[in-house]
Amino acid sequence: MTTHDERASLGDPPTRAEPSVGGDLITTAERIRRAVESVIEGKPEVVRLSLTVLLAEGHLLIEDVPGVGKTMLAKALARSIDCSVRRIQFTPDLLPSDITGVSVFDQQRRDFEFKPGAIFAQIVIGDEINRASPKTQSALLESMEERQVTVDGHTYELPGPFMVVATQNPVEMEGTYPLPEAQRDRFMARVSMGYPSPEAEMRMLDTHSVVDPLDDLQPVAHAHDILKLVDAVRTVHVADSVRRYAVDLVAATRQHPELRLGASPRATLHLVRAAKAAAALAGREYALPDDVQALAVAVLAHRLLPTAQAQLGRRTAEQIILELLQRTPVPDPAAQHRWASNGHQPPGARRL
Amino acid sequence: MSGRMRLAVCAALATLAAACALLPLVERTAWILQAALLLAVQTAVGVLGRRMPLARPLTVAAQAVAGLLLLTVVFAGSQAVGGLLPGPDAFREFGQLVQEGAEDVGRYAIPAPATTGIRLLLVGGVLVVGLIVDALAVTYGAAAPAGLPLLALYSVAAGLAKDGTDWLWFLVAAAGYLVLLLAEGRDRLARWGRVFGGGPGGAGFAPAGAVPAPVRTGRRIGALVLGIALVVPAVLPTMDSGLLDSPGRGSGAGAGDGGVTSVKPLVALQDSLKQPVNREVMRYRTSTANSRDLYLRIVALDRFDGSSWRSSERRLTELPDELPAPAGLAPDVRADLVNTSVAASGSYAQNYLPLPYPAERVRAEGRWRYEPEGRALVGDRGQTTRGLRYQVSSLLVEPTAEQLTEAPAPPTQVLREYTAVPSSLPSVVARTAREVTAGSANAYQQAVRLQDWFAVDGGFRYDTEVESGTGGQAIAKFLKDKRGFCVHYSFSMAAMARTLGIPSRVAVGFMPGTPQADGSVSVGSKDAHAWPELYFEGAGWTRFEPTPSRGSAPEYTVSQRPSAADPGVPSPAPARSAPAAPPSADDRCTARMKKLEGCVPPPQQAGGGSTGTGGPGAGALAGIAVAVLAVAALPLLPLLWRRRVRARRLADTAPRRRGKAARAAEAGAPGPEGPGRAGAGDAVVAERTLAAWRELTDSAWDYGIPPDEARSPRSAVERIVRLGELDGPAAEAAGRVATAVEQVLYAPRPRPAGGLAAEVGDVRAGLRPARGGAPGCGRRWRRARRSGCCGSSPGAGRRRPHGCGPAGRRPSAAGWGPPCARPGSAADGPSGNREEKRRGAGTSVPAPRRKAWSRKAQWPCSSRRRCQRCSMRSITVRRCRTWPRPGPPRGPAAPGWAPGLGALRQPVTASAAHPSITRKPTTLIQYCPGIITPVMRSAMPTRNPATAW
Repeated sequence: MTTHDERASLGDPPTRAEPSVGGDLITTAERIRRAVESVIEGKPEVVRLSLTVLLAEGHLLIEDVPGVGKTMLAKALARSIDCSVRRIQFTPDLLPSDITGVSVFDQQRRDFEFKPGAIFAQIVIGDEINRASPKTQSALLESMEERQVTVDGHTYELPGPFMVVATQNPVEMEGTYPLPEAQRDRFMARVSMGYPSPEAEMRMLDTHSVVDPLDDLQPVAHAHDILKLVDAVRTVHVADSVRRYAVDLVAATRQHPELRLGASPRATLHLVRAAKAAAALAGREYALPDDVQALAVAVLAHRLLPTAQAQLGRRTAEQIILELLQRTPVPDPAAQHRWASNGHQPPGARRL
Repeated sequence: MSGRMRLAVCAALATLAAACALLPLVERTAWILQAALLLAVQTAVGVLGRRMPLARPLTVAAQAVAGLLLLTVVFAGSQAVGGLLPGPDAFREFGQLVQEGAEDVGRYAIPAPATTGIRLLLVGGVLVVGLIVDALAVTYGAAAPAGLPLLALYSVAAGLAKDGTDWLWFLVAAAGYLVLLLAEGRDRLARWGRVFGGGPGGAGFAPAGAVPAPVRTGRRIGALVLGIALVVPAVLPTMDSGLLDSPGRGSGAGAGDGGVTSVKPLVALQDSLKQPVNREVMRYRTSTANSRDLYLRIVALDRFDGSSWRSSERRLTELPDELPAPAGLAPDVRADLVNTSVAASGSYAQNYLPLPYPAERVRAEGRWRYEPEGRALVGDRGQTTRGLRYQVSSLLVEPTAEQLTEAPAPPTQVLREYTAVPSSLPSVVARTAREVTAGSANAYQQAVRLQDWFAVDGGFRYDTEVESGTGGQAIAKFLKDKRGFCVHYSFSMAAMARTLGIPSRVAVGFMPGTPQADGSVSVGSKDAHAWPELYFEGAGWTRFEPTPSRGSAPEYTVSQRPSAADPGVPSPAPARSAPAAPPSADDRCTARMKKLEGCVPPPQQAGGGSTGTGGPGAGALAGIAVAVLAVAALPLLPLLWRRRVRARRLADTAPRRRGKAARAAEAGAPGPEGPGRAGAGDAVVAERTLAAWRELTDSAWDYGIPPDEARSPRSAVERIVRLGELDGPAAEAAGRVATAVEQVLYAPRPRPAGGLAAEVGDVRAGLRPARGGAPGCGRRWRRARRSGCCGSSPGAGRRRPHGCGPAGRRPSAAGWGPPCARPGSAADGPSGNREEKRRGAGTSVPAPRRKAWSRKAQWPCSSRRRCQRCSMRSITVRRCRTWPRPGPPRGPAAPGWAPGLGALRQPVTASAAHPSITRKPTTLIQYCPGIITPVMRSAMPTRNPATAW
């Protein structure tokens, strides 16, 4: 087990101007994005998605084959924000108490003293999370959803902002366990890095051969900035039709014949929250169905379980979601509006 | 030649081939050229309609209209308006021709003369069948069911043809159908995107010389099946009376299979009379010495349609031992019992039993059924008289002239049924009948005078070579020409008797024949005969003999002659309730005639006819013109409606047309306002913007871009820009409209956007050149296919410069379609990116959003179909450079992104992957994800993915 503090200081609040929903939010987010992109070459959409998850108070799961920079992304994200960061290297012999903490009897004070585990940080990097046994992974469940840890009957609040950035290899790789469904459901989004373009790879050779770019990375935003950003994201307006669209989309996964397990209500919650964050990052104060569409694959795919038949047919959850996106009608705004202006409720849940 | 066109040509060929089976039915064969020409024009109309493309029902309708016009030009040109448009006169002419044709078909023996009516029936029938075949096989793409109308056409011909030599025509018709199937199969194969080649060298379309293997196999199978179809019925013993071989069916065969009978023996009658040799039909011995009156009666024709006589369809019963007593025969009339034994010849196959009238008892082997009204015996289930021997006990009724003279009125039911005359009967018949029978005291005298007029006085000549005229004028023509044979005489006399109120019918059968040395009597085919039977209460149905030089007039009519010629005989009071027509012209209408069909005096009728044929009046012309204009304006209705809707929506959008509140909202929306007022202003703004939005989507739909419900305003506009190939200001305007709509729909407070009407106008202006000409309703209402742009219009796929559909592929082939449904798919390539930049510059769409879209844009175009290699359920058609990945969609895979996969980066040609499959040179590759994904999932450098193939 490797647990070490990267930067334990919670630090003082910076004297920088407070970001607001408008331009400041965008500039702050833009600074973080640029900082991370200086390390991760040629993957702007992955960086953008991780930032979206950060602002939406979600947790991020990065899944890909080894060597494409998963851990690098997690570390870069953590380092560009001035907050406490801990890293947990998940190994098969990791124990739950290593994560949550343990009460130790203090001989002098003749009392139990709680030694916080690695989870007590603002950004927790869970490396190779699916190499630990499900027993250990379930230690994360409470902290990820409720942002608190309960040990020996005492409940300890976790600091805000709190984000778990986990990396994992595809399940087919050697020595990995599949994540329990409950835990997968707690991650807001799953992203894949993908291989870089040849140009990006060339640039990477240049930069990485001289010095580790992470060393140069300085924090560009404080944890308080992030909290303000999160507050700003919460105020983003989501119209009724957009919410209905998200609900329709998630409901469609529950009825799809090729899915054994559809998306949970928490998925709907995450989808709308992520859409809010995306809208805020785009400088809008209202979310669009387009935001939902753009995030649906990342937010929903890892929660779905295709049936055995679908797996035999090599149908992936991503394909199914794309298909649903093409099939699910965006609630007709005009009709909705007419209903609203007439002061009546639409008679049916859906137009079609 | 495109596949559809080839299919259309083959459909026309198949129809013509099936129509060839009709050739032996008519004397001259020129009509088939006419039919071929008209069919070709009709098919060409269909090809054009599909190319335009019209909606399917519209194509069929256009073909039908074209066929109607052609028929009008050819058959009713003089009656048509302007020689082309069928007016009421032309339709009347058609009706007349069809009626005449139907009568001619019933009248003439095969081969019939090609009268106009028959030609209309033939050509029209071929056109109708051709239309159905074309619609089924080409327009609706189902060639196999098109065999049904072809079969119907062929079986009509085969059912009418009398000799068994039409296997040749069967071969032709079947070959035509096979050609149609072959063309359809080939078209379907070609639609798959590849043609099975003989070898690796045969990639691409099969060259003209080399025939691909499946086609060759198909031809072999076709030839084999045809051969079997020809040979097997000849081998099977039970099928010798099957489709190809129908001996003995020619001589007046009727439907004797069930409980209903209907017969048309007259064609056979003329045939047998015309035959050069007199074949013996039957031979009989009889107990009576007076064999002169022993007419052998086959069937009675009791229904008169104005030109010919037919037998009614009546119920058949079991043959009783003792036949019921003949109708109307009183006991005081002398009737001698006659026993006759008949032996039919082996060459005579008739499914009616020739019997003397009225038969009392019949002993005959076989399945015979009894028709009580006409006292005929009908063979059941193919029972014929071939070689049959049977015994008949019949009555030889010999009424005296006095008995007939004093016959009371016949029963009302007989009167009603057997004196019915159609109104189409020319008036000359009734007039002649009255003239001939003028001065007759009673029905019997009238009958005798009619018979004598035909046989002796009228100057008629017996002539079997005469062609009876066509239509209702046949009898009139015969009365004028005074030449004909037994059919004409019996028909005319029976008809005239009916006009005089005497119940009558026509009997068909044989004259008594020639006595032989051994005491038997031989009946030959030249003894075939038809004679009228008139009903007299007390004597029943009584035979008359109007045909000169044939048969023998019955005793009771001969003895009457002197008294009939005697003018001194006082006329007794008419005995019947409906008296014979007196000569006075004003009292021509009997009560019965008035009751039946009214009475129209002939001169007035003629006058009415002349004014009727004088052409439509001015009022009718004006009416027709208005109707034509209305019909022409009908297609414009959607256009006008759309214009009105557009004007209203855009007027909604324009600020000047709105009320005060709207203007206030327009001016002061950002400023501080009362909540209620702001709400009202919001509503107005929203309504206005949404009207503009609806107009925009509807305009795009007008230009062939159907709306997609699964798209948000922004992506819908992107799609319109992409498919409509909008550029410059039009695309920017569309983007601004979308932004405004987003504001209205999703923002907490809508922001007013001015000038949306102008924006929509810009978009329309941009759509117009890009989508080619005016919007078509057809485009909008064409069947919207399922997947996105693939179904928008064939033109869309064809015109897309960066379309991911393979170049040169027929885009109209259903089921293929350019696989480019994804929003901003990779195939959009440069144009999509350019478009996004423009939009970004022109509107306030923030840059990161565009990134998000570009992320989505890299999802490869794909379309789903069945994998041909592993027959798994689904297959993805993609471009080779883009691999399906287990993760969410990402950028286009760059060359060299995966070690060890370099070999697969080239477009995989079939020779490398599957030597048995050749494909057209294209960058597309078809495989199922199942083959690729394992490679991707375990993209380990050590594993050579090529082995996964």
